[in-house]
Amino acid sequence: MNTLRKVVAIVCITPLAAFGVAACGSDKGGGGGGGGGGGDINVALTSFPDYIDPQLSYTLEGWEVLWNVYTPLLTYKHAKGKEGTQVVPALAEKMPDISPDGKTYKLKLRQNMKYSDGTPIKASDFAYGIQRLFKTDSGGSVFFNGIVGAKDYADGKANTISGIKTDDNTGDITIELAEANGTFENVLGLMFAAPVPPSTPLDKDATNNPPPSSGPFMISKVEAPRTLTMERNPNFKTVKDAGADEVVDASVDKITVTENKNNSAQVTDIEQNKVDFMVDPPASDRLQEVKTRYGNRFRMEDSINTYFFWMNTQKPPFNDLKVRQAINYAVDPEALNRIFGGRMHPTQQVLPPGMPGYSEYKLFPGPDMNKAKQLIAEANPADRNITVWTNDEPDRKRIGEYYHDLLTQLGFNATLKVIAGDVYFTTIGNESTPDLDTGFGDWFQDFPHPDDFFRPLLHGDSILPTNSNNWSRVNIPANNAKQDELLTKLIGDGGVEQQYADLDKAYMEQAVWAPYGNERFTTFLSERMDFDKSYHHLLFNQDYSSFAIK
Amino acid sequence: MVVPVGELEVPGEPPLPTGVPASQIQGRNPWYLAWLRLRRNKVALVCGAVFVLIVLFCLAAPLWAEHVAHTGPNENHITEKVVIDGQPTNVVAPDGTPIGPGLHGQYLLGADQNGRDVMVRLMYGGRTSIYIGLAAAAVTTVLSVIVALLAGYYRGWIDSVLSRIMDVIWAFPVLLLGIALGTALAIGGLKIGPLAIAGDSIWIPIMIIGFVYVPYMARPIRGEILALREKEFIEAAVAQGKGPLRIMFSELLPNIISTIIVFFTLNIANNMLLESALSFLGAGVRPPNASWGTMIADGYEMIYTAPHLTIVPGLMIIATVLSLNVFGDGLRDALDPRAKIRLEH
Repeated sequence: MNTLRKVVAIVCITPLAAFGVAACGSDKGGGGGGGGGGGDINVALTSFPDYIDPQLSYTLEGWEVLWNVYTPLLTYKHAKGKEGTQVVPALAEKMPDISPDGKTYKLKLRQNMKYSDGTPIKASDFAYGIQRLFKTDSGGSVFFNGIVGAKDYADGKANTISGIKTDDNTGDITIELAEANGTFENVLGLMFAAPVPPSTPLDKDATNNPPPSSGPFMISKVEAPRTLTMERNPNFKTVKDAGADEVVDASVDKITVTENKNNSAQVTDIEQNKVDFMVDPPASDRLQEVKTRYGNRFRMEDSINTYFFWMNTQKPPFNDLKVRQAINYAVDPEALNRIFGGRMHPTQQVLPPGMPGYSEYKLFPGPDMNKAKQLIAEANPADRNITVWTNDEPDRKRIGEYYHDLLTQLGFNATLKVIAGDVYFTTIGNESTPDLDTGFGDWFQDFPHPDDFFRPLLHGDSILPTNSNNWSRVNIPANNAKQDELLTKLIGDGGVEQQYADLDKAYMEQAVWAPYGNERFTTFLSERMDFDKSYHHLLFNQDYSSFAIK
Repeated sequence: MVVPVGELEVPGEPPLPTGVPASQIQGRNPWYLAWLRLRRNKVALVCGAVFVLIVLFCLAAPLWAEHVAHTGPNENHITEKVVIDGQPTNVVAPDGTPIGPGLHGQYLLGADQNGRDVMVRLMYGGRTSIYIGLAAAAVTTVLSVIVALLAGYYRGWIDSVLSRIMDVIWAFPVLLLGIALGTALAIGGLKIGPLAIAGDSIWIPIMIIGFVYVPYMARPIRGEILALREKEFIEAAVAQGKGPLRIMFSELLPNIISTIIVFFTLNIANNMLLESALSFLGAGVRPPNASWGTMIADGYEMIYTAPHLTIVPGLMIIATVLSLNVFGDGLRDALDPRAKIRLEH
């Protein structure tokens, strides 16, 4: 009887409590300028963002969170599909005025905007953000090397970057480039270029005390690498009032992002509406179940990326072309597709489908283990002790195990190192890490330009002491020069796309990677979320400003 | 002097066989008497036999792998097919679902998502788990005996220092200490003087497990040594001019050997449990090598669609640990019926 009474009480109280919570959420809404909706939601991810710092973060997880926190002078349109790859004004009043020689960019900061802590946003904060890129050895610094004086500043020969001039009174910002750069507008739309106040440490990671925000959300709490909380930016109204119409307001009041290493538990939490969104796709064994039982709140999403095995081209045995070619012959994209639960499009090239310059080709028909073994026999590498790196996310760990077995079959004495996903890329990007021979790599487009798949990953200048993304340590002077030459042209210029396609082939002729697939992503939401409003952005994945509760 | 039969019997224990002339019992050593007691404990004997069968099962791994499964424990067969009931069947389906268990020689317990034969990995994993259990127990035993002998024999400041060190290790929860050491040593390995162990070596979890259990074994043995140190036969040995090392190893050690054997047995079971926990948490055996702990960790990701990947190695751990614990208790009762020793943590 007592139990029955309790059950009845719970049944009666729960809807009332839910109504109360929803009402509270609605009351709180609108702090940032009319986003409406309201409510608190929970997001789960398998690996915590690498940094909660706009100048340093360079992972999918980091960008997905930070896109709606730190707003650059320019940004990408908040829209699904190709429309989302369009660069639009954000904190700048309009798109830059570019000089006829393509070397000078003039922008004007909107007036009277404030960061989330009330500090005014100034033009000089942009210059400070770019300086931080170099002082923190950010992986994103390679995009800004072309600014006049950037190299001197990075080398400590100058106190400021001479090519950036700002006027806090007028909001004028002038950027001088050493050479014309066809991607510079795209680059200005990345969070790397987001202004931050001078209270942010110049040469240190600010993850534990992130700078104040200029977007619809602010980071109110960080307990790296476990959880972070995003709340409405109380001063976002100043950004909207200044006319930044392309920077979209949030629809929910608070997002709690929590790391959960168990992908299957994340799926179950969403099925049971305990979590509202999972950043990573459901593990392959749950995918079919999710597709069939929760089709009304699950969909596959296009994403522009390439998955590959990197090989350190500066150390034996991968400094031998034949060894690298052998790996390309041996890798079976279909096997890796099955590890991904059938979400992968097979490939053997650098550029993914959907990227300008993509032209399908296959230099290493196979998988052909006999050919691979023959090449290894011809190369006869003296050093066969190699370390294979991967991270502990479910698919990645299995990919590493597959690759380890493949190398063993080819006669290598391979050792598999599995490290945490949230420190994986910073570990393999640090040249002091021992035994960086080969391992798992992936790359998602930062902006819709093929240079993004070549410069950070394969240009010799991208071999950095820390936060390097050139994991294969590729430095081919002719290809570097070609990249630099193409960068001065616009992608729409005649023949440029074809030249990028040729560059792709030139790298794969050197077998600098062993690419195997392009992954499709997913959106899986809880029942209480408005599934139709939320969308997947081609550059930043899920747009958190599109999250809304029904 | 002839000892009456009644004086050889242990209070509380069943009497020795009647009608046996005292002259026949007189020469029997304590080990034989222990065997007589153990033989009467049928449950312990059955559990000992179960453990032996598990060990034999695991030792047969290479035979099964070569003659039945035709694959090694780490070999991937993701895109291959096997013939089942005359039909070619994908080892791993295009949607990533691996083949399940069935009465076919290959893939008797199915495959995992990398197309590896679960039966082969179970057998090889058992070898790893039992090997770690035994080797870590040996490490614990050697370290514990050294610490206990030094502390118990010399007493004074040496005892104080060693006991406090043991207290410090004891103060850490075993699992947390194991995870901390396992994670720290995973990348760079262990280097102490000439001793160098690579980060992926099986000796890393062995050394970690062997180390964290030292206080649990060293402290009770030290207590026994302290008591023995006061006995007359030690005073006699000192009076005869025997040196400390000789007294420790020829007088004290033989008197605690039965305690050590019991601890060693019980320690194996505990070590296997800790190895499984550490491997499950990613701080024990390194992938792609199989142990029952890593198999549970791998299968845990597929618990909804392929629960056998988790349940089978879990059952093997239960069977092994249970059999070892019951057999260890029986051994303790047989070797020293008055002893109350147990591994407490």
